[in-house]
Amino acid sequence: MRFDNCTERKKIVVKNPAKKYYYIFRVSFMENLQYPLNCILGFLSYFIMIFLFFQLWNYIYGDASKVIAGYTRTQMIWYVIFTEIMWFGTRNATLTGGMSRDIKSGTVAYAMNKPYRYPLYILSKYFGEIGFRFLLYFLMGSIMGVVMLGNIPAFRFTTVVWVLPVILSGLLVNSLIRICISLLAFWVEDSLPFQWIYDKLLIVIGIMFPVEVFPKILQPAIRLSPIYAVTYGPAKLLVDFSFEVYRQVLLVQLGYLFTFSVLLLLGYRKGVKKLNVNGG
Amino acid sequence: MEAITAEELQKTFKVKQKKKGLKASLATFVKTEYKEVEAVKGISFQVKEGEVLAFIGPNGAGKSTTIKMLTGILYPDGGRMSVLGLSPTRDRKKLAYEIGTVFGQKEQLWTHLTPYDNFMFFGKVYDLGEKETVSRIEEMAESFELGSFINTPVRNLSLGQRIRCEITASLIHRPKILFLDEPTIGLDPVVKENIREFIKKLNRQYNTTIFLTSHDVGDIEKLCKRMIIINNGKVVMDDAMDNLKYNYLNRKQVEVRLKEDAEIKLKEGVQLIKNKGLERRFEVDTKKCQVNELLSLIDGDNIMDVNISNIPLEKIITEIYKR
Repeated sequence: MRFDNCTERKKIVVKNPAKKYYYIFRVSFMENLQYPLNCILGFLSYFIMIFLFFQLWNYIYGDASKVIAGYTRTQMIWYVIFTEIMWFGTRNATLTGGMSRDIKSGTVAYAMNKPYRYPLYILSKYFGEIGFRFLLYFLMGSIMGVVMLGNIPAFRFTTVVWVLPVILSGLLVNSLIRICISLLAFWVEDSLPFQWIYDKLLIVIGIMFPVEVFPKILQPAIRLSPIYAVTYGPAKLLVDFSFEVYRQVLLVQLGYLFTFSVLLLLGYRKGVKKLNVNGG
Repeated sequence: MEAITAEELQKTFKVKQKKKGLKASLATFVKTEYKEVEAVKGISFQVKEGEVLAFIGPNGAGKSTTIKMLTGILYPDGGRMSVLGLSPTRDRKKLAYEIGTVFGQKEQLWTHLTPYDNFMFFGKVYDLGEKETVSRIEEMAESFELGSFINTPVRNLSLGQRIRCEITASLIHRPKILFLDEPTIGLDPVVKENIREFIKKLNRQYNTTIFLTSHDVGDIEKLCKRMIIINNGKVVMDDAMDNLKYNYLNRKQVEVRLKEDAEIKLKEGVQLIKNKGLERRFEVDTKKCQVNELLSLIDGDNIMDVNISNIPLEKIITEIYKR
């Protein structure tokens, strides 16, 4: 039987709990500014990927005035530019291999006697790590798009203001999913295969093609999937904004934020009780 | 108030068992066997506020498991514990503000930032104000002599400098209890002495309770007033250092260098432990035989040199480990 007992409980007032996570984000952001070359070299892969898709969609469309699944050629390539920004700009080992390794090795335990919650610490650290890179990719990707394709049809800068919360929510949903997958390391030998499955689903369903390209029978399922909230939603709204799609995407995102937050909380609480940190 | 109370703490681990060979590996794939290992088997002790305690034992004794239970990292399977009146498992976050931990080779600093940035970070994590953090950093930079490298990225520091920064980071929030797990491992004697002095000062000035595990006898001798030795998950000794020395240091080592080889008749309480050429080393139980009695057994004209010393604390501890 597990139990412990205290004769007296002290009340300790915790000041500004959110401030410390902002500071974790800030310190992580600062640390990653030491790696500008990594960002720039990574952008080469992005550039090659977009170039390939540019050629592919040019070939598929043939005629620039053609419309496929409701997308013009320009809109389709801009869609891929933004989804690839979501992919390349957020790729990071902290939430996947790093967290899984921390759990398997027991290193997570050493974060447990600090006055912060490990999942929130990891989340703040992750956003600090990708912050600069994501902004850089967004800027460079947008410039690349303008050079290759010209402006997004019917685009207004106020669209970005509306879509910004959707982008941030998409990043958050993606992070929560990855953390929940990593928490499986408390129970399975290796959670990376599950990360791999999620990566592939993200690429095929969420990055390479918009939902409308898929067979009609599959579309409802895809619209309900978290991938709709992570990549499709933000990219679709940037490329072809409508309030109807905006409401749908936000609703799906809020649903997933709630669901995965609860899963994370329950999974982490159960997982730490299983923690097995051997040795001195 | 007692800073730490542990009553009949127990912890058992399930360890996967696998026999050797390919067949056994395939069998494990289908059915995994586990063995239960009792790491801690009912440990009880109390630590007063302001005490400096050595909590030691051989490898695998259960000391790190015990510390991890006391700091809320592991859940005990039985027993009771309280640290500063808080439950390490239920009140882990609250307790975190009151304790500091330095675990051996586990790094907690951001390697690409400077120690100064790291200390500011920990100040924020522990909800200290900026002025308070800066003042604390200045105070500890002076005590720990960090000034020459406080603005050098951590990855460029030597091991000794890094460990000094690790300990400093764990002290930013003025913890009431400091858990130190092998804090001086890998450090040169000068740096070890610096760290020991700082820990002593911390205890004197702020009445910080120090809970130390170390295999370095120097740490134990120079810092601790009380020692708990555990082995096989149980407490085998819990006593003040003075009592330990009184009970065990009644034995002396006497080294004698002779001018000529000679046979020495031993008496009760005297044991010959080294006989090499003209050198003899005796262990004398002073409760049974005084040192001068031993020396009287040797022809005074045949003695070239005599050296009398206490039994090394390391040897005493090793004997207790073997119990």
